[in-house]
Amino acid sequence: MERRHFLASLSAAAMASQLPLRARADAPSARADAHSAGADAPPAGSGRITLLHTNDTHSRIEPFGPGNGAISGLGGVARRATLVKQLRQQLGAVLLLDAGDTFQGTPYFNRYKGRLDYQLMRMVGYDAGTLGNHDFDNGVGMLVEAMESMEKLQHANPPFAFVNCNFDFKGAPSLSKRVRPYLVKAFPGLRVGITGVGVAFAGLVAPKNHEGIVWKDPYDSLKPIVKRLREVEKVDLVVVLSHLGYNLNGSAPDDLQMPGQVAGIDAIIGGHSHTFLDKPTKVPQARGETLVFQVGFGGVNLGRMDFAVARGAVRAASGSAMPVMGSIVT
Amino acid sequence: MKLKPCSALICCLLSIPLSAQATNTKAEVIPISASIPEDEAIQKVIAPLAAEIKATFDLPLVQAPQGLFRGRRGEENLLGYWTADVMRRAAQNVVGAPVRFAITNAGGLRSNLRPGPLKVGDIFELMPFENELVVIELTGAEVIQVVKEGIVRRGGEPCSGVKAVVGGTPEAGTYTLVWEDGRPIDPKEVVKVATSDYLYGGGDSIPTLKLGRKPFTTGVTLRQMLLDECAALAKAKKELLPPPPGRYTIPAPIQEAIRDKKFKL
Repeated sequence: MERRHFLASLSAAAMASQLPLRARADAPSARADAHSAGADAPPAGSGRITLLHTNDTHSRIEPFGPGNGAISGLGGVARRATLVKQLRQQLGAVLLLDAGDTFQGTPYFNRYKGRLDYQLMRMVGYDAGTLGNHDFDNGVGMLVEAMESMEKLQHANPPFAFVNCNFDFKGAPSLSKRVRPYLVKAFPGLRVGITGVGVAFAGLVAPKNHEGIVWKDPYDSLKPIVKRLREVEKVDLVVVLSHLGYNLNGSAPDDLQMPGQVAGIDAIIGGHSHTFLDKPTKVPQARGETLVFQVGFGGVNLGRMDFAVARGAVRAASGSAMPVMGSIVT
Repeated sequence: MKLKPCSALICCLLSIPLSAQATNTKAEVIPISASIPEDEAIQKVIAPLAAEIKATFDLPLVQAPQGLFRGRRGEENLLGYWTADVMRRAAQNVVGAPVRFAITNAGGLRSNLRPGPLKVGDIFELMPFENELVVIELTGAEVIQVVKEGIVRRGGEPCSGVKAVVGGTPEAGTYTLVWEDGRPIDPKEVVKVATSDYLYGGGDSIPTLKLGRKPFTTGVTLRQMLLDECAALAKAKKELLPPPPGRYTIPAPIQEAIRDKKFKL
């Protein structure tokens, strides 16, 4: 099992390394010589982008200890940071994203109330995350405090963004100004739109802990956002950070149903159900295919999806789960 | 030449026109090995905090002059009863409504609490898992069935709120379950039940728990719940004492038949 995981990640790495790398801005290229102005900019809507992602990390700052079966010895934020750094140096166009439930699960959360989790995410270099049900475990006030502490951290990396489009934050202004419906990240030749959706509070979050926030249907909330990202923001790739769960067999909105309900999503980075997938599931949708992925929980794996985009459309996409292994695997 | 699917994808990706492509693209293999070193800057932040957390394991919690034990062969699991009692009270606090019954699995209690002063680390040893307290709804009939499944498969799982009496012979057993105050259980009554996400998810041998409706996952680990209970006792200047036995009455021959997996009910 572990060996299979390892080999899968190795082949993905080897494959990516053989892809043509975009030239750095300072690297002269044949085309740059041929054109007089704006030569470094690739044509709009073309390029490669890698999405790295986690979900349900649940305050797993350190690797899992022995006695945890197949995941013993795996994970750990410091190792994840190394892996992300290596991939960023190698690939350039990389986004690091999280699908929620950063909080609850180890004494680190009980002691540091989520501040440490978010601060470390900034240090590792996350670009955006969304909110899972457990991120409300200490109530809205403590959630905002954790976000604030991350924003105020003195660090070279900028604070990361929170995205969600199906929570109505009107009654919680302190959170409202920290969570945006979507985010656009621009790379040379490529614009990526990122939004997020969260699971219904009923049965998961105590009412006092989500005071002032109203849950709305994720599909209905996503439709206008995806439309706006495509038509107004002119993005080439739409990514949804989803804390709905992978497959709920029709009992509630989930990641597998989403592509059929909302057209125009290229990638769904899922969470909540702690589903271990080796590679993304390709789900047909009105505009081609959506890659639906989720990498277990606790930072055991780092997810990776590679997209090659040309003239505003995805031409090739693949991905794999990369186990975050240390020197001691029990 | 037949292309492997992998190389077909590479060709496909290579054919995409990328303008600012480096002329001398060099293939480098990302060093993903079985061992990923820890990022030094991050590890420098974590190490002192990890030490701090570890130091908290030595912090005193509460006095337990008699200790709390899972019980040897033929004895009741008073440590389990205490855990189930705390689960029931904690669930009641979270949902703000009466919780009539709680059940956990004896296999999840990994060590006894020895007599003397308890430390935080003792509770971590007892409950190393991250299992979460869950509140579900069951009918009275389902509660009766849940306890029965625990008796047949495990000789009775630790519970709170009920009393079970098993009689008859190993070949033809009898079984009655009543509420803790002796009142009969109405099979049709819907009651709130506290358990763990592990058991509710079908993680052990009580399949009927999976039928639970309106699940409320509290976000509180069973361990944190026990830590909070000990801290509350200490704050109230009380000692941690075992609850009285008497929740399972099972004759010795039947207990043996259960262990030999020969008991029918």
